[in-house]
Amino acid sequence: MLRSIWNGTITFGLTVVPIKVHSATEDHGVHFHQVHAKDGARIKQRRVCSEEGKEVPYKEVAKGYEVRSGEYVLLSQDEINAAAGEQSHLIEIEEFVCAAEIDPVHYDHGYYLGAGDDGQDAYRLLHDALAKAERVGIGRWVFHNREYLVAVRALDDALALHTMRFADELVAADDLDLPTPSRAPSKREVQMAGQLVDSLHNDFKPQAFEDGYRERVQQLIEAKSRGEEPELPEDAEPAGGMDLEAALEASLSGSRS
Amino acid sequence: MARSLWTGTLSFGLVNVPVALVSAVRDVDFHFHQIHEKDAAPIEVQRFCSEEDVEVPWEEITHAYELKDGGQVIVSDLELQAIEPRRTRTIDIEQFVDLADVDPIYFDHPYFLVPAAEDDGSIRAYRLLTEVMSQTDRAALGRFVMRAKEYMAIVRHREGALTLTTMRFADEVRATKDVDAATQKSHKPTKKQLDAAVAVIEELSCEWEPEKFKDRYRARLKRVVDRKRKGETIKVPEAAQTPSPAPDLMAALEQTLEQLQKGESARWSQQREREAEPAT
Repeated sequence: MLRSIWNGTITFGLTVVPIKVHSATEDHGVHFHQVHAKDGARIKQRRVCSEEGKEVPYKEVAKGYEVRSGEYVLLSQDEINAAAGEQSHLIEIEEFVCAAEIDPVHYDHGYYLGAGDDGQDAYRLLHDALAKAERVGIGRWVFHNREYLVAVRALDDALALHTMRFADELVAADDLDLPTPSRAPSKREVQMAGQLVDSLHNDFKPQAFEDGYRERVQQLIEAKSRGEEPELPEDAEPAGGMDLEAALEASLSGSRS
Repeated sequence: MARSLWTGTLSFGLVNVPVALVSAVRDVDFHFHQIHEKDAAPIEVQRFCSEEDVEVPWEEITHAYELKDGGQVIVSDLELQAIEPRRTRTIDIEQFVDLADVDPIYFDHPYFLVPAAEDDGSIRAYRLLTEVMSQTDRAALGRFVMRAKEYMAIVRHREGALTLTTMRFADEVRATKDVDAATQKSHKPTKKQLDAAVAVIEELSCEWEPEKFKDRYRARLKRVVDRKRKGETIKVPEAAQTPSPAPDLMAALEQTLEQLQKGESARWSQQREREAEPAT
């Protein structure tokens, strides 16, 4: 069973659903320590006062918000935590929206919800009702001293929760000042590109993609631990600027052969 | 315009579109510096060698991987660069998928792709790809390398532009079957309960209007900073009570529906609080 990182309650209307929160993702990255190249000794970080040049113990460190260059308003961690909101262990679903209306760009971090103590019936009910109505519940969640906007949805047999990016955190396409071509793509170009998309169309199989870089890092580490020296490959770059229609035609004849 | 984080080529068959990657998320968070409380001077982080007890300059720092037996393998920046894939400046579209088939649990960081070349062919190719994907509601999957890491990415159409979202690899996403989702038959809701819950959801449904939701944490943090600047003291609020589960699901649903019809939904949090309190 997965370890839970938060226990609490979801409510919708007067229905109370006890839940446990689990992380939906796990980190498989290869992690390195910083070491001194000369002697291979671990690097230690020290907090030093820029005024006195002396090491500062953690309990003497405050958080400073810079209001003007070099001028800080000092806050303790407790004072920053006061902004979190009610630490109520409660996620109140304020409204439901159609799942299809939410652009995935809003979804930030993903979590899974498990049924909490004595909450199995209510959990199942919320899951099945969300799945049947094809809706997503929107609410607020205070986690790690911060309030998040969250979406609760049915995913397979379980409930998933996502923290959501606020609208004012997202860049709009209008802000990008995209250039317009002197003429729109021709009918023939759209048709050929459509064929090319069709020929490359397949089902989404996430397992088909592996983290090749992570594997190569592991191989490098193994080779070096045996005392081998790695080789250096070279770069190749495709050229920019082209005849669009000719490139589409060549792609299509290539994909048919 | 936003600063580009990466420039390269989006390759689609033999069509190459020069593109720049810009973040689709802006950082609006409050950032704090570490300050020495005593003299209000900023804290600097210095790197020391644990063996020699001297400060170590950046160029003398390298990476080490710790082996299970306690030994370590030293790996340099150059060696890490050498194992990056050959075509590091390319996003190769490997396949197209139906956007609806890709669960958002795989989505990581969103970016926009913007045309990076001025020639008309490249700009038209960008427009063409945007148009074709929006017509078919399909997205492209490919890989690219940024900052010494290989990413799987999904490229799709959004608001007339191409967006790229880095994706989590399949083995980084946990299986939902490992979650205790109370799937035993005994927990299955009755048809009456399910219909009532769906009715509550439909009553509480509205259009998704993301602009309506403001970051209250950010707003409160701003007030805390402002008040502290004026020399006021800040009190930490006490924890509120957590409601206990309703023993009768059907009664809770029926009462909710009744109150929704009377337009009394605002009273829920108070009512739940009262019910959670021990009887006196």
